Amino acid sequence: MKNPNDNLPTIENLSVVDQQRIESGLRHGATRREVMGWLIAAGATIAGAGSIVTSATNALAMSPKKGGKITFASDLHGPNDTLDPGLNTSTIDYTRGRSFYNSLCQINDDLSTRPELAEEYSANADNTEWTFKLRKGVKFHDGSDFTADDVLFTMSRHYGEKSTSTAKTLVADVKEWKKVDSHTVKAIMKGPNADLPVILGTPQFKMLKNGTTDFQTANGTGPFTLEEFKPGVRSIGRKNKNYWREGAHVDEIEITAITDKVARTSAFLSGDIDLMQALDPKAIKKVEATDGVGVWSVASGAYFGICAMTHTAPGNNPHFVKAMQYIQRRKKIVKSILKGQGTVGNDHPINVAYGADHCSEMVQKEHDLDKAKFHLQKSGITAAELNVAEVAPGITDISLLAQREAQKIGLDLQIKKVPNDGYWGAVWMKTPLNVVTWNMRPTANVMLNLAFAPDAPWNDTLWKSEAFGKLLIEVRGVTDAAKRHEMYCTMQKMIAEGTDDFPGSGMIIPAHRNYVDGKSDKIEGIGRMPLGSLGGYEWPEFAWRTDV
Amino acid sequence: MTDATQNNADDNDLDTTIYDELPDAPPKKRLKLSWTGKIGVAVVAFWLVIVVIGPWISPFHEADIIGDDSFMGIWTSTEGEGVHILGTDYLERDIFSRIMWGARMTIGISVLATLLAYLIGVTAGIAAAVKRGWIDMVLSRVNDAILSLPTIMLGLLIVVALGSSIPILIGTAAIIYASSVFRIARAFGQEIMVMDYVESAQARGETIWWIIFREVLPNAAMPLATDFGLRLVFVVLFISSLSFLGLGIQPPAADWGSMVRQNLEGLQYGSLAPVWPALAIASFTIAINLIVDDISAKSGGDLARKMIS
Amino acid sequence: MQRMVFHRILIGIITLWVVSVLVFLMTNALPGDVAQIVLGQSATPESLAAYRAERGLDQPLISQYFGWLGNLLSGDLGTSKAGGASISSLISERLYNTMVMAGIVALISVPLSVGLGLLAAMFPGTWIDKTLTFGTLALISVPEFFIATFMVLIFAVNLGWLPSVARVSAEQSYYDWWRSMAMPLLVLTIVVAAQMIRMTRAGILNVMNSPYIEMAILKGVRRKRIILRHAFFNTIGPIVNVIALNLAYLVSGVVIVETIFAYPGLAKLMIDGVQTRDLPLVQATAMIFCGAYVILIILADVAAILSNPRLRNPK
Repeated sequence: MKNPNDNLPTIENLSVVDQQRIESGLRHGATRREVMGWLIAAGATIAGAGSIVTSATNALAMSPKKGGKITFASDLHGPNDTLDPGLNTSTIDYTRGRSFYNSLCQINDDLSTRPELAEEYSANADNTEWTFKLRKGVKFHDGSDFTADDVLFTMSRHYGEKSTSTAKTLVADVKEWKKVDSHTVKAIMKGPNADLPVILGTPQFKMLKNGTTDFQTANGTGPFTLEEFKPGVRSIGRKNKNYWREGAHVDEIEITAITDKVARTSAFLSGDIDLMQALDPKAIKKVEATDGVGVWSVASGAYFGICAMTHTAPGNNPHFVKAMQYIQRRKKIVKSILKGQGTVGNDHPINVAYGADHCSEMVQKEHDLDKAKFHLQKSGITAAELNVAEVAPGITDISLLAQREAQKIGLDLQIKKVPNDGYWGAVWMKTPLNVVTWNMRPTANVMLNLAFAPDAPWNDTLWKSEAFGKLLIEVRGVTDAAKRHEMYCTMQKMIAEGTDDFPGSGMIIPAHRNYVDGKSDKIEGIGRMPLGSLGGYEWPEFAWRTDV
Repeated sequence: MTDATQNNADDNDLDTTIYDELPDAPPKKRLKLSWTGKIGVAVVAFWLVIVVIGPWISPFHEADIIGDDSFMGIWTSTEGEGVHILGTDYLERDIFSRIMWGARMTIGISVLATLLAYLIGVTAGIAAAVKRGWIDMVLSRVNDAILSLPTIMLGLLIVVALGSSIPILIGTAAIIYASSVFRIARAFGQEIMVMDYVESAQARGETIWWIIFREVLPNAAMPLATDFGLRLVFVVLFISSLSFLGLGIQPPAADWGSMVRQNLEGLQYGSLAPVWPALAIASFTIAINLIVDDISAKSGGDLARKMIS
Repeated sequence: MQRMVFHRILIGIITLWVVSVLVFLMTNALPGDVAQIVLGQSATPESLAAYRAERGLDQPLISQYFGWLGNLLSGDLGTSKAGGASISSLISERLYNTMVMAGIVALISVPLSVGLGLLAAMFPGTWIDKTLTFGTLALISVPEFFIATFMVLIFAVNLGWLPSVARVSAEQSYYDWWRSMAMPLLVLTIVVAAQMIRMTRAGILNVMNSPYIEMAILKGVRRKRIILRHAFFNTIGPIVNVIALNLAYLVSGVVIVETIFAYPGLAKLMIDGVQTRDLPLVQATAMIFCGAYVILIILADVAAILSNPRLRNPK
């Protein structure tokens, strides 16, 4: 049965977009009356709109205060906690990296870059050679100077057979890193690539001291110095007094994790922690009704996917994939499972968060059991097994919803819940039907290159479309905006639908999720960069307390 | 209670105790229940009925995602669907229906696992006691090893290695709890093996199997039964603690322990969603133990001492 | 008795060895290895191979096991295959935390539950007994995480009296330390006391059925005196055994309480070790748990012998 609420837009559907609109509106001088107008149009009460605008205005009006301590609780930690940026894979690692190290380039909220340890950076005319001028006078925590040798050492850890780096594919098309002088380095590319600075802003490329081998401590250049590092317990950082720019606002930062989500929410609600990662969308109502705490939700291109492997049954049958796509109750997922903190997906990864590269003219796929039934019958498949691990909060529920719809069209979709540990090694890309989650990447090209290119190591469904791969490389050199948009549009359609000659990717992408985290009202200075939790982990240097 | 009635009660026990200690005493047949025991029987009977007919009388299917919202309160209704007697859970499913369906899963798994634990534990325990020697040594050391490791971590190891299907969950719980049964059974077996009537049976030239089935088992049965109640509770809790690690029953099937776990966050929002399955667990396990208490009060003898040592 | 203790220690060492083999085999049977889990979604065949080579995971299993055993015998617990920290540094603080928590819970719960168990046994069938029976059964049958979360909601979120998580550290004042520990201690006390009360009651009632107690009753000795003078001393053996098993549980089995209160203890570390397939870490914690179990059981046996004249001087 169809839920009557499926077709009604709700305030939750709009709230994040609105939040961003309010903030940017206020920054750019919109009046209080205008902003309240938007909110009321979006369904807020006058009183509610008033308080939102007041708090937003106050936040913008205040200048950072100095001192105090911030406690952050992530959702996962353990013996594999690491201070080696090259091995980082989790939010807690990325946040620690941000606290103790610096990158060459820093990513802005709109995914452009600004200088960090590289004072200036530029490419030659065809983007095949990048030059980075390093900031002078930057010191590591042990007092030594930051120079070109440190950059070369750091980058060398991401190449070669002995490299354990989790990000080596991102910089694989740099042919060579060259030292020009003590404070200048060059990257010689294999082909044109305009994305190198933003790639260097991702967490794994934090700058290390030349020759570092001991990662039980962190000798970086970052805004905090390491006071204590206990894997699976906590890390404590003290403000770096010799920082090369203004530096941290708080004196101390404590980075820990509370793995049980109910306990984490309780700790957040009772004020024992200031920032929490991964707030359950169901807790939003409670958080909003509690004094002193708020929801920090940032719309992004992060997505949930069901992967039907294309080299084997049932995913090698395009009709089966289509049936799976049509049974997705996308609006219901956003409303009920994400509680409005997300957007519907269209079976390809490039959503509106990627700006101009998103194919807005593509038809949105809707829940349609008749079409689903038609395709299922054509496929001749009646049963399938979906392997699910809760790799992103809500993905099990999405699978359960699909299971109920599948039953209605005569597909016996068995859900096999498997543990999270071992999932990436033993289930993902190994079993015919499984689930995946991807964080947003800085550009559409990086995203598609990682997960859809025919030679990508993480091509979820082993979809080998040479035509797609060709387009993906070609588009890097295209400067005409309309042409570029058209090419990205073609690629998105290839992924979702396939073409007459080649089937689609086998991906079912029902929804994109926001990063939903919790922030105490006493903390300000958290950004909205959409590549990760709490504004893309960028906050340690910029967050400050209002109550010191 | 006055001293007089107390003594009176003890006199009754005295009779049975003496009778109990006669060689070749037959296992007791009749059992008088106290009022708590009768309540226990009523509750267990109620749940057994639900196990059989639950899915037919429940208003919704356990996997139906039909509510208007997560954590709706008791006696709320969704338009076009009907009333949610106990409200909805985190995924907008009807809690009342899920408890009805979950009875089968919870009671089925815990009873089967406990029975299997007894089968394994008693067989191995008596084998160790009867055969002695290296069989006893190997069984006892492996048993010690299992007992010394935390149950949740053994569960994690087995379930992750073999996958989480219902037979594997039952087998895992059975192996883990068989280790406690093994201790009791082995101690009993050792004690009984040196008793006169067993020695005389051996002298008569009876086979070892005859001795086990006719002499050892009947005498150990009652004491072991009293341990059953607690073991059953532990199995229910064990399955729910696996759900704490994201393992356990495969969704969307309902089991009470996992329902408590999955809806726990509802407590934060003032929902009673986790309370109902917790009450279901408590009612069933307390009822079983009230019955067991009556049995153990009557059976006297060596039972609880073995049960706990 | 010295011979008996010596014999038990020998058996304990064999048990430790069996545990190490079991844990090694079972951990290796799990899907995925530490390299796949550490590198996660970003793993490539190349980086997996590099990681395995770097941490010695490409060695044959047998030589990994004997390498570990050799190091253990020379007092070296090795390093974590997941994070690279030394196992002893990972364990030391948590071992202390676990021991402190188990110790305090034991100090509170043992006298409490033996007392209440005696009380229930002294007045069997009365409302005191029924209340205690029903209360303990109710507490045993509710999952720990329900009790813990419920308390956090009341005392931390709603009333704001206590911190919701037990984040203990060396700089804390005594007052703050006790405030952080109050709820985990309370939850564990409830969980273990409920079981021990039930077992104490059962043990004493059981002894009450023995012929010599019947004789005392027939002679007209008062019930209270029978229980305190005769029954109790004869139940010490079994009760101490129950206490030992519960203490072993407090050392190794409290992963749920540690998780909910984010208390850095050993039980959670072991689960983390299993989930990251960090074998040396799992082995080290398993050895500690098994060792604690063996020691506690030996102590219980010794206590049982000392409390029972018949066992003290065997025929």
